[in-house]
Amino acid sequence: MNYTQEIREIAARLLENGQVDMVIAWEKGDHEYQTIPFIARTVDEVGRIVCDEYSIHNLSNSLLRYRDGKEKIAIVVKGCDSRGIVRLLEDNQIKRDRLYIIGVACDGVKDPLRAMKQHSGFERIQTPEDGLAAKCLDCRQPNPVIYDEMVGEEQPIRGETDRFARIAEIEQMSADERYRFFEDMLSRCIRCYACRQACVACNCRTCIFDETRPQWVGRETSISDNFMYHLVRASHMAGRCVECGECERVCPVNIPLMLINRKLIKDVNEFFGPYEAGMEYVEGNKPPLSVYKENDPDDFL
Amino acid sequence: MKVLKMSKIEQVLDRLAQQADVYVPMLRGQQTGFFSWNTYDEGYDDLMFDILNVYQSPKHVILPQTEKMYSFSQEGQEIKIDVEAEEMTPKIIMGIRSCDVRGIEHLDDVFLTKGYVDQFYKARRDKTTIIANACYNPGTNCFCESMGVNPTDSEAADIIMREVNGGYVWDVKTEKGEAVTKQIEDLLEEQEVELFPLKPFLRKVNYEGVAEKLKDMFEDPMWEKFSEPCQTCGICTYLCPTCYCFDIQVKAWGDEGYRFRCWDSCMYREYTQMAGGHNPREAAKERFRNRFLHKLQFFTERYGRPLCTGCGRCIVVCPGGVSIIKIIDTVKEAETGA
Repeated sequence: MNYTQEIREIAARLLENGQVDMVIAWEKGDHEYQTIPFIARTVDEVGRIVCDEYSIHNLSNSLLRYRDGKEKIAIVVKGCDSRGIVRLLEDNQIKRDRLYIIGVACDGVKDPLRAMKQHSGFERIQTPEDGLAAKCLDCRQPNPVIYDEMVGEEQPIRGETDRFARIAEIEQMSADERYRFFEDMLSRCIRCYACRQACVACNCRTCIFDETRPQWVGRETSISDNFMYHLVRASHMAGRCVECGECERVCPVNIPLMLINRKLIKDVNEFFGPYEAGMEYVEGNKPPLSVYKENDPDDFL
Repeated sequence: MKVLKMSKIEQVLDRLAQQADVYVPMLRGQQTGFFSWNTYDEGYDDLMFDILNVYQSPKHVILPQTEKMYSFSQEGQEIKIDVEAEEMTPKIIMGIRSCDVRGIEHLDDVFLTKGYVDQFYKARRDKTTIIANACYNPGTNCFCESMGVNPTDSEAADIIMREVNGGYVWDVKTEKGEAVTKQIEDLLEEQEVELFPLKPFLRKVNYEGVAEKLKDMFEDPMWEKFSEPCQTCGICTYLCPTCYCFDIQVKAWGDEGYRFRCWDSCMYREYTQMAGGHNPREAAKERFRNRFLHKLQFFTERYGRPLCTGCGRCIVVCPGGVSIIKIIDTVKEAETGA
């Protein structure tokens, strides 16, 4: 994927005619394999914009910083990221008319974080970092679901595997096995909250984990506090995770967070579905767990 | 020269582990860090003396992420307080790089100097022996030399291991180091070997004058710009070998409970949340700026050197690609505040 030229042209046009105050996109970092989020506010800065094979970040999350402002914002989104925009609109986090959405059809991107690590000397196995990012291998939504302007040719869906296969396996485990499985996975959490910060569905003004009166979840990196953190985080994702995979990508201790999220996706789909979060924006539509219906299933309670 | 043959490393670790809790760099499942040799599982773990460095720095050996301080309980009219004297077995950190040794020197500054001695820290630190692993091959994002660290000779190390063909030269620096060496003397061999030369650094910064310049750059627009890709998670602070901020919290149920301290991060909003509801560092930019001012200005003003050892971890692991090198360079080049 390389739409650098196209995005620069659009950004220059939008900034020049005053249609937007800022363009949220990417620029190059210190290495050729490093692309980082960047906001251009003037035409002069447009030349720094890139949209290349390492443009992996779901930028929709950065709109939260401007939710209380009045700026008109252009933002570049890939297919998966665009579902994040729907997420924010459904949650009334930002008004549609403040946004100019530049959608790019994505044929998969590489992970600059993975590449940074591979080249850092901190990793023993030097696998050549040519492949697509892990989260792109099972992509369901390469094309933007919401946009004002579209760049690139529509891409075919790559994800053809059963994304719930591993979930079904874990469901088959005995309670003890499952406990050990999650204990091993979650005991290594260092509580850096990168999964929360990277998440577009995490848009609470004061996160439950930052509440102190009362403090709902303890701050120890003990197995019980870590379990609580991840249980609460996961259940808040129910019906809201757009599967952009950013949480799992940014986790510094490689916790397979999408595995947990997919369990919730599967459950919401089974109980309230068919439902896929953020697939289309219809004004007034709410995700299943944001509304109450008399006939909501409650067998699992 | 005393030389530890590669084939005898596990024997040495087993021997040392009889007297101390020995922390070594390991790949454990999906993560790398310093773990106790007592917990080493051959089928699952992989020793990593040969790697540039591990993601999780060894600071937790002396400053655990969560540490119980005391417990309390009420019995009738009496309140009972028990100081949790954790059984302080001697500790050895083996295979630590110079950058991370400097990190411990910074922790020493904070917890042992300027008129206050932290008893929990001191108890651990006094019983810790540092066996450094000299570094001859700086990595892609290493710049320790620019921060005043000598990659092949760490000041606070008790012993320095120097990689040579087939093993390590065992270079004893202090009495603590002598004591540890006595336990394994018979496993070392006398041999003349040639040391590797230090390879040139790929990254350099010029920190000179940066602390001074920053005094006038509190309102500089660069903070807004640089903080934009920062997602304000705590990865950088928790993997940093020098970040030492902690919080003291309590867990209580009914008539009993305990007080503990745990790492905290200036990148979190809650870190500066005040009881009355006001937060002086509400915005990401403010938290981001504080982190770098603390590292590059405030710490230098108080302790005479910056709170960065050039290990490069934060640069490697930042999801937003924030680079402290870029920030130092920008300050250096800035015309304002000069």
